[in-house]
Amino acid sequence: MLAFTDKEICTRAMTTSTTVAENVGRREVSARSVVSIRGVSKSFGATLAVDRVDLDLHSSEVHALVGENGAGKSTLMRVLAGFHSDYSGTIAVDGEQTQILHPRQARALGIALVHQELSLLPEMTVAENILLGREPYGTIPGVISRRAMQERSRALFRELGIQLDAAARVDRLSIAERQLVEIAKGVSANPRVLIFDEPTSSLTYHETRELFRVISGLTAKGTAIVYISHKLDEIFAVAHRVTVLRDGARVASAPVDEWTQARLVNAMVGRDLSALFPRTPSAPGEVRLEVRNLTRRGAFRSVSFHVRAREVVGLYGLIGSGRTSLADALYGMAPADAGEILVDGEPVAVHSAARALAHGIAMAPEDRRARGLVPMLSVKVNMSLSALAALTQAGFIARSRELNAVERLIGRLSVRAASHSQEVTMLSGGNQQKVVLARALMVGPKVLILDEPTRGIDVVAKAEVHAIINDLAQQGLAVLMISSELLEILGMSDRVLVMRDGAIVGEIARAEASEERLVAMAAGVAAAAESRA
Amino acid sequence: MSSVLPGGTARWHLTVAAALRDYGIYFALALLIAYFSIRIPEFRTAENALLILLQVSVIGVIAIGMTFTIITAGIDLSVGSLLAVAGVMSGVFAQKDPTLLNMLLAFSLPILIGLVGGAINGLVIAWAGVNALIVTLGTLTAYRGFVVWYRVNPIYDLQPYYSVIGQGAIGPMPVPVLILIFLAVVAAIVLNFTRFGRYVYAVGGNREAARAAGINVELVTFAVYVISGFCVGMAALIFTSRLGAAQAISGQGFELQAIAAAVVGGASLFGGRGRISNTIVGALIMGVLFNGFVMLDVPAPIQQMAIGVIIIAAVWLDGILRKRRR
Repeated sequence: MLAFTDKEICTRAMTTSTTVAENVGRREVSARSVVSIRGVSKSFGATLAVDRVDLDLHSSEVHALVGENGAGKSTLMRVLAGFHSDYSGTIAVDGEQTQILHPRQARALGIALVHQELSLLPEMTVAENILLGREPYGTIPGVISRRAMQERSRALFRELGIQLDAAARVDRLSIAERQLVEIAKGVSANPRVLIFDEPTSSLTYHETRELFRVISGLTAKGTAIVYISHKLDEIFAVAHRVTVLRDGARVASAPVDEWTQARLVNAMVGRDLSALFPRTPSAPGEVRLEVRNLTRRGAFRSVSFHVRAREVVGLYGLIGSGRTSLADALYGMAPADAGEILVDGEPVAVHSAARALAHGIAMAPEDRRARGLVPMLSVKVNMSLSALAALTQAGFIARSRELNAVERLIGRLSVRAASHSQEVTMLSGGNQQKVVLARALMVGPKVLILDEPTRGIDVVAKAEVHAIINDLAQQGLAVLMISSELLEILGMSDRVLVMRDGAIVGEIARAEASEERLVAMAAGVAAAAESRA
Repeated sequence: MSSVLPGGTARWHLTVAAALRDYGIYFALALLIAYFSIRIPEFRTAENALLILLQVSVIGVIAIGMTFTIITAGIDLSVGSLLAVAGVMSGVFAQKDPTLLNMLLAFSLPILIGLVGGAINGLVIAWAGVNALIVTLGTLTAYRGFVVWYRVNPIYDLQPYYSVIGQGAIGPMPVPVLILIFLAVVAAIVLNFTRFGRYVYAVGGNREAARAAGINVELVTFAVYVISGFCVGMAALIFTSRLGAAQAISGQGFELQAIAAAVVGGASLFGGRGRISNTIVGALIMGVLFNGFVMLDVPAPIQQMAIGVIIIAAVWLDGILRKRRR
C-alpha cells in the first residue's frame, strides 16, 4: 500500500537514518514515467544555473531534489513549470516531447508548483485565493458564487485532511496556515506532477507531519511529487528517490534506501562535512541574562529563565507558542507588560531595540528579508547600522573606523561578498544571514538572541553559522537560540527551554534532550506521559 | 532560486549599462543642452544659463526637502500650500516699515513657518502613523485654506531691502542660485556622511529592519518632514522676494514639480533610494526643457504634454536599467 499510517510517518520523520519502506521496489514497478527531462540546461547571462540535467518523474513517487542553494533545484523546477521558456534540452510528458514555454501550458499539462515564497493575496479569503482565476459561477451568469467557492475549498480540505477555515481572510492566518493554503492551491488543480519547493521552511514539526500525510495521499492517487528541501530528515521521511544537484549538474540519483545522511551531505557539497553541529560546550560562567516572570498579555506569561556566559540555550516550541514574542520583548521590539529583565544582575528597562542594544542585548531577527536587512543598501551599511552611534563623531560617520569594523567582521564570519559595497540582496542566503549576525555583533553585545539563525540557508552555510555560534559562546557571549529545527536545537544547545502556549513548560539538559522528548513537551503530551511515569 | 549573478555576454555591454544606470540623467541633461545649444543661438549664453538656474532655484530647494521624504518612502504634498503661508506671512512684514524687527521677521518668519508646518506633518505621520500621502494631502488643503482665509488679497509694494534675496547677486551669481547650491551641498553631506543620513536610507529601505537595528524610526520620519518644511520656508523667501509680491495662491502645483524632479533623478517612491545631486539634475532637466521650449516658441499646452511624457519615460527607463542588473 502506498498510504502510510500516521504513526509510520511520525516515526519516519523522527528517525534521521530511516530504513525506508521495503516496498519501494514494488512501487517502482507499478510506476510509470510521467515526465522525463533530458539534457536540460538554463543559464542566466553567463551563469549556467542548470547544466544538462536528466530527471525522470514517476507517478506515485516522491522524488526529492536536494543540493545547496544555487545548485539549480529551483531553476530546474521553474523550467518544468514554464517560468523559464529559454531553456535547452528536451522535456517529454507522457512520452510526448513538448516545449514548455509558459506557466499556463505547464498547468494544462498537469504540472503545478507550490511556491517557495508566499504568493497569496492577503485581503482575500482562503477560498478566493485557492480558486483565484478559476472562480465558479453561481446561478446568475457572470457572478461568482461565494458559496460554491467555499464548498469546493472545504471539500479539498477534507480530502487533504487539513484544518482550515475557507472563509477566513488570508491575512488573519499564521505563516504556516498560509503555506497550507498555498499547498491546497497547488493540489486543487488536480495536477499529475506537483512540485514542492521548500514547503516546510515555515512549518512546525506537526504541520510538516500533516504535509507528509497529504503527500502520501497524493501519491496514493498516482501523483508524481517533486520535493525540494534542505532538511535531510524530511527527505528520508518522505522521499522514494533522491537526486542530488551540485553547481547545476546532476551528481547522483538513487532510491532513498541507498542513501545515508552522510553520503547525501557528501554528494551535495562535494566533500566531507565533518561537523554540522560543532558545539563544544565549556564551563558556563556568570549569569548574563536573567528573566523573571516576564509577561505580555496574549503572547507569553510568567516566563523565567537565565542564560550564562559561554552558554548556548535553545528555545524550542511550535509556531505560535510565544517564542518570537518573547525574543521581541527581550530585545525591546514589543516590550513586556510585567516582569523583570536583568543583564549581569542589573535590572534593565528595554522599551526599544535601541535600549536593548545599549544594555548589551542584541538580536538577529527571525525573518532576514522582513526584519534583518535593508535590501537596497550595501553590506557595509547593513552591518554597521546598529553600531553607528559608537562610530559617529559630531553626527559624522568615522568612515575609516566603520570600514575597519566591517572588514574585521567580514573576515571573522567569512562573509563571501564581492566587496563591502555590494548590495546586500546580491549575497546568498547564508551570507545575508552572516550580515545580520554581524550587525548584532558589531555593537559588542553581552547577550545574543538568535531567532531561527539558519532558516532557508544551505548546509555549508548552516555549518558555518553553527561554528560562528560556537565561537561566540566560547568567547563569553550568552546565546539564546530559537529554532524550529530539532537537529539544530539538539546539536547546538547546552540546555533547551521548551515553550508551549506562552509559557516555558520545561528545561532539558543537553545530555537528556532527545527529539521525542522535545516534540512531546512542545506539543503538550509530555505532561501526561511523565505524570503517568 | 539559484544565484543569478550579473552575467552579460560581453563585459563592455555591462559597463555601458552600469554607466547609463548611474549617470543616465547626466547624459540626458547633456544631450538636452547640446540639442538646444545647436538649435538656438540665444540658448548657449552665460546669461541664459544663469536664468535657467534662477528659474530652477525655487523648485530645486523644495525638491531637496522632498528627496528626504521620498527616501523614507514618504512624500510631502503640502509644500506648495506651505510656501504660500510662509510667503504671505513674510510679505506682511516685508511691506511694513523697515525697522529691525520687521526686517528680522520678514526674513525669519517664512523659515519658522516652514519648520512648524513641516513639524505638524511629521508629528502626525511619525507618531499617529497616518499615511504620509494622506496627511500631506490634508495639510495641502488646510494650509491653503488657512492662507486664503488669512489674506486673500495679494501683498504688493514690498520694501526695497526685501528684494536682496530673490533679485540680488554676488558677482555674476544670483543669490537664489547660491542658496540652492549651498543647500544642495549641505543636504548631500548630511545624506552621505552623517549617521542621520544613513538612518534616512535605512528607514526608507526597510522600516522594520531599521527598527530592529535600534534606530528611532519615528524620530527620523519626523525629522525629514521638518527638513522638507525648512526647505519650503527657504523657497518661500526666495519666491516672494523674487516676485516682489506675496499671494495666497502662490505655489500651486509646486509639489508635483518637486516630486517630478526627485523621481526623474531616480529617487524611488518606495523608499531607500535617492540622491540630492540627481534630484538637482532632475530639476535642471525640467528647467532646461522649459527654457528651450519657450525659446522655440512651443505652445504652453504642448510643453506640458512633452514634460509629462518625459517624466514617465525617465522613470520607465530607470526601471529598465535597474532590472538589467539583476
